[in-house]
Amino acid sequence: MVNEVRLNGRQWVIAVLLIGLAALLIPRLWPRVERFETGPDYRIPYALSKDYWLWQRRLNEAAGPRNIVMLGDSVVWGEYVMPDGTWSHFMNQEAGGGDRFINGGVNGLFPLALGGLVEDYGGALHNRKVLLHCNVLWLSSPKADLSATKEEKFNHARLVPQFSPRIPCYRADANERIGVLMERNFGLIAWVNHLQNAYFDQKSILTWTLASDAEDPPKYLNSYKNPLAQIRLAVPTAPATDPERGPQSPRHQSWTKTGGPAQFEWVDLSASLQWAAFQRLVARLRARGNDVFVVLGPFNEHLVAPESRPGYVQARDGIAAWLSAQNVPHLAPETLPSELYADASHPLTAGYALLAQRTTASPAFRQWLEK
Amino acid sequence: MLFHTWPFLLFLLVVVPVFYALRHTRLWIPWLMAASYFFYGWWNPYYLALVFYSTTLDYFLVALMDHCPRGGARVDVIGRLTRLRFDDRVLQAAFLISATATAAAIMGAVLGPPTLRPTLAVLGVLFALMAVGALFSHRRVWLVISLVNNLALLLFFKYARFAVENLNALLHGLHLAWKLPDPAGLMPFGAAYLLPVGISFFTFQSLSYTIDFYFGRTDRERNFLRFATFVCFFPQLMAGPIERARHLLPQFRQFPPIRRENFTDGLSLFLVGLFKKLALANYLSFYVERVYDHPAAFGAPALLLATFAFAWQIFFDFSGYTDMARGVARLLGFQLILNFNNPYLATGLGEFWTRWHISLSSWFRDYVYIPLGGNRGGAWRTYRNLFITFLLSGIWHGAAWTFAIWGALHALGVMVTRELERSAFYRDRVPKLVKQLGVFSFVCFTWIFFRAESLDDAFLIVRRIFTAGWSDPQIPALLLLLTAFVWLYQFLYESRLRPVLQSGFVRVGLAVLMALYLFLFSSGGGAFIYFQF
Repeated sequence: MVNEVRLNGRQWVIAVLLIGLAALLIPRLWPRVERFETGPDYRIPYALSKDYWLWQRRLNEAAGPRNIVMLGDSVVWGEYVMPDGTWSHFMNQEAGGGDRFINGGVNGLFPLALGGLVEDYGGALHNRKVLLHCNVLWLSSPKADLSATKEEKFNHARLVPQFSPRIPCYRADANERIGVLMERNFGLIAWVNHLQNAYFDQKSILTWTLASDAEDPPKYLNSYKNPLAQIRLAVPTAPATDPERGPQSPRHQSWTKTGGPAQFEWVDLSASLQWAAFQRLVARLRARGNDVFVVLGPFNEHLVAPESRPGYVQARDGIAAWLSAQNVPHLAPETLPSELYADASHPLTAGYALLAQRTTASPAFRQWLEK
Repeated sequence: MLFHTWPFLLFLLVVVPVFYALRHTRLWIPWLMAASYFFYGWWNPYYLALVFYSTTLDYFLVALMDHCPRGGARVDVIGRLTRLRFDDRVLQAAFLISATATAAAIMGAVLGPPTLRPTLAVLGVLFALMAVGALFSHRRVWLVISLVNNLALLLFFKYARFAVENLNALLHGLHLAWKLPDPAGLMPFGAAYLLPVGISFFTFQSLSYTIDFYFGRTDRERNFLRFATFVCFFPQLMAGPIERARHLLPQFRQFPPIRRENFTDGLSLFLVGLFKKLALANYLSFYVERVYDHPAAFGAPALLLATFAFAWQIFFDFSGYTDMARGVARLLGFQLILNFNNPYLATGLGEFWTRWHISLSSWFRDYVYIPLGGNRGGAWRTYRNLFITFLLSGIWHGAAWTFAIWGALHALGVMVTRELERSAFYRDRVPKLVKQLGVFSFVCFTWIFFRAESLDDAFLIVRRIFTAGWSDPQIPALLLLLTAFVWLYQFLYESRLRPVLQSGFVRVGLAVLMALYLFLFSSGGGAFIYFQF
């Protein structure tokens, strides 16, 4: 016999038990050995946006019974602002300090992906208060809605429904789709993904050892490094200063300085994949006993060209009507002053402060909070 | 559908239980065949027509061969032609059908749609040959038809473009105005001219059945479904091992016994194969591609190490595939032949070929080398036969001069080691390890021609290995460590330490490590190298 790594029945039972034990225990015990420093205004670092295992861990560790998890896309996460300029920061400030409002936003997320995130990694979200943001930007075109037929590459494809409902622009092959389902259902694979995100530049460990820089000829910086030494047992934190974000950043400026009004191809609510996903998400969160409050917008209406406005109003009113019909407490804040937006949906730091004021001042929100 | 993908796992989770559930019925063979056709059709459903065609033709050719007397017989050709006076009704029907089909195909080739004319013309020739076969009732004619048909398929899909390009270059060099058209124009209905995956394997397997039947080495298979399952049996359809009818066909005659070993051995083989492919071959391929895609940009150490890495990549890739194929077949209760036996521990090149791709080398030995005369007729004839066999074996791998040179180099290597083995000094005094390293180094050298994108690249790599400067190869240390570990394992396995490696503790430990390593380190990966052949 040539291949002598040939196990008999008893040996297979032992091997499977050992593998199963490792698969079960490693992801569960890992938080005990890996430091995860969060602190006030913590949000998942931009570089770890696709580390869903870490998001899960953050919710498990931070979401106490009194905490309110704020869920949403980069509007909740704070695309143009530093952690102390986010919506959750100002919500906490309005609430008199503390860390009651938790930033559960993830950069680049959208309702179809948020649904997957909550479904597969949001086990901690039950019997809690959840503030859910609804961004109508995802209805602004078939491309944003992911209902276009042309193939698109988009963020967080590992969170979207893989088989049903069908996303026409998502063209992953069967192997990739089943692999995603495996990752969602096997903690060990999600944990490996966490290692890759946290310590190996979002690469597999083998690919990381072959990574090159951008020079010509390229240098292969990790060739002789020990990959295991990369695992420093501390989740990387966001850089203290981020040239891409915060008032000092050139990106942190009003949209009026970078562009003008825009046309939108609003997708009808009845045909929208993102809206259907949002509806399912609300139903799922409520089915888990969560007390959900939805904040609709505020979208940057100043940016909407007059011809596109009726479509916007129809979408916004349709969403509000559905929320009312479902008895979901909600708020559709008045649009912020034009200069407080960085683009169609992201406020600047002062915009978030004003949004937090308006949210906390709303009777609907107060009533929900005190319930 | 690749073995190391999730769809294959799902496929297996359906196929195996249903297969076992059908054990008391006669449906298990149709089920295996349907599963195999589904597996093959997953790549490209159009390829199924080709497998079905090759299978059907060989099945009927052997059936007709069976109706012809061994050793030939006097035949009244005129009587058969004029009065259709055949002793055998089957041959009579074959003659009538073939003659009618020949006329129809020729008419179609003349009057039919232009995209179908070449195909119909070829079919016309085939039917005409069959009519001649029936007329003369000679077993050899059916064998020739099978050979011509299978080899023509292979030549057309694999070598036609290469031949046309080379001939056109030659015509151009001779300042002649003729230019042969691209073979893609001969495809029916304008279908894409693509190399069907695994064609070299299933044609050789089917061919071995007709040759073996002709020489009386195997019985005729009367059940078409059983024969079709033999040709397209999914574990080994894409890249072998190339099975012989006398080994695999009898296994399909009755439902295989269900034993615990089917599962334990099958899973063991599959795990080892998966590890070889995902953890080793794919990892090595990244480095090999980096260097071999731009050989002029790298120094001698990188070129040497990339060649070394490719030697192991192709071994892990192909033997990993074979392990998985054998493992899957084992799960179903079937035994496929051994295809690799630690080839890099060979002490001579002849021995290397008894350890590397054993099913192919034995195929060439039995159907090319021995019919050519083998080692009968003196040294010159032996070496001539060896050279032809290895050259064909090289060309079997692909339509490129690099493969021809690779084959020729191996032929030379076998001749040299054969001569060396005659000397008492080499045989008795040169340490085994030196011989092993010598063979390994030579094999690595030949891999340069196998892997290089072109002949120019191959010569450039050889030249640069000896002339380029010594710069940092930047090969991942982990990659070298893993390869060294496997090599060491192989050496130890062939040493006195084998019992240690065979102990339960080591086996369980290795299985657990491989499984966890696959979870932790692997990064998916592409198709198997040998699928392109």
